[in-house]
Amino acid sequence: MPVKPGFVWLTLVSALLVHMLLNILVWGRAAWAPDVLSVVLVFWNVHQTRRVGMGVAFVAGLLVDVHQSGLLGQHALAYTLLSYVAIRVHLRLRWFSVTEQALQMFPLFVLAHAVEILVSLLAGGGFSGWSALLSPLAEALLWPLISHLLLAPQRRAPDPDENRPL
Amino acid sequence: MARETLGRDPPPFFRQGPSAFSRLLVFSALALIVMVADARFQMMQPLRSAVSVLLYPMQWLALQPLSLAQGAKVALAALAANEADTQALRQQLATESRRAQRAEQLLLENRRLRDLLALQQRLERPVIAAQVLYDAADPYTRKVILDKGELAGLQLGSAVLDEQGVLGQVTRLFPLMSEVTLITDRDHAIPVLNTRTGARGVAYGDTSTHADAIELRFMAANADVAVGDLLTTSGVDGVYPPGLPVARIERVERRTEAIFARIYCAPLALVAGAAQVLVLAPVGLGAPERPAPLAQPKPVKNGGRR
Repeated sequence: MPVKPGFVWLTLVSALLVHMLLNILVWGRAAWAPDVLSVVLVFWNVHQTRRVGMGVAFVAGLLVDVHQSGLLGQHALAYTLLSYVAIRVHLRLRWFSVTEQALQMFPLFVLAHAVEILVSLLAGGGFSGWSALLSPLAEALLWPLISHLLLAPQRRAPDPDENRPL
Repeated sequence: MARETLGRDPPPFFRQGPSAFSRLLVFSALALIVMVADARFQMMQPLRSAVSVLLYPMQWLALQPLSLAQGAKVALAALAANEADTQALRQQLATESRRAQRAEQLLLENRRLRDLLALQQRLERPVIAAQVLYDAADPYTRKVILDKGELAGLQLGSAVLDEQGVLGQVTRLFPLMSEVTLITDRDHAIPVLNTRTGARGVAYGDTSTHADAIELRFMAANADVAVGDLLTTSGVDGVYPPGLPVARIERVERRTEAIFARIYCAPLALVAGAAQVLVLAPVGLGAPERPAPLAQPKPVKNGGRR
């Protein structure tokens, strides 16, 4: 069954919500915190390339920048790059198992964080420490979980009856 | 066919819009332009305000679990803590009331003396109480977001205090929120006065040590600075009113090869955990105009000769 467009947008908005929630409640300023929104964004870039493209990534990045009150455009650039690479590899990526996908996503997340760190260094910010390297690792580890969650509606039977209510 | 099971329309073969690479170039260029406009020309404030208003309901939603948990915690803790608190507060009240009486007397005396000296009365500025919503998640800066904004009457550049001392300054104003740069932010500087010696200096935020600290810079290596000195605002900047406690000197490093001493200070305000804050309008807005420069004496040409 194809994914419903409403579901895609709903998950993107709730990913932003979860991202803000975790930032406010759990992680604060920790540099190693995984970026949940970027994982969900890349997931839809890979699975719904025609609906969720670079424009969505750019806007999401701007929203995150305003929320973090950082340099405007910093996350927008990182997410755009992330989304570009994801769109380039999406056909190849779907041939692999989920764990192998996570392995391939890892350098992608490293790239996104490298861009963010580079931009903030160029803009005169400080270096937040090597713990920032843990962040892409955590995101790659989140990939199987997010894949499982977001593909759940598509594992339902196309024609539910009494025997298969879901 | 009751439900559509066979997917969407087939993707168009030829008309797919611009290629991925050209889109990448467009959006990257857009991001770079936005960054430069934001960092160099400060042109992005309207966009930021608009987006922040859009984000506000989501942030409000994200903060609900926190306020619920806090409410529950407060209710539980209040029962146990109130008893002890009341006791302690009574004792404090006894000592404070004596002090208050003395302060009253001093105030009267002070006013008379000021009148006598025809000094300008210290300006009474409006104070707005606000609450810290959350810490900005950017690990490279030290900023917090307050729950009051332009609509509540906040002004850009206002000083923000907590009950211990100076916390920071309002650096961005949104309609419903405002952003405060803490004194520990690496781009923040605050003019201070050493209360023991009367020496003025400038303290900068110092996040390099990964501790929320500030650094008193440009003090000569042989300057009279001792551990434990209290730094207060000096009031020369027109932002912070004079006499507010800022920090206490924690460590002084004097190196023979350096001209300046490295002086680390610990902020008095709870920079990492302030919840209730006061916002003071900037001094500069209430102060009288700067006097016009004195008329220049006519330059004498050619050393006085024709």
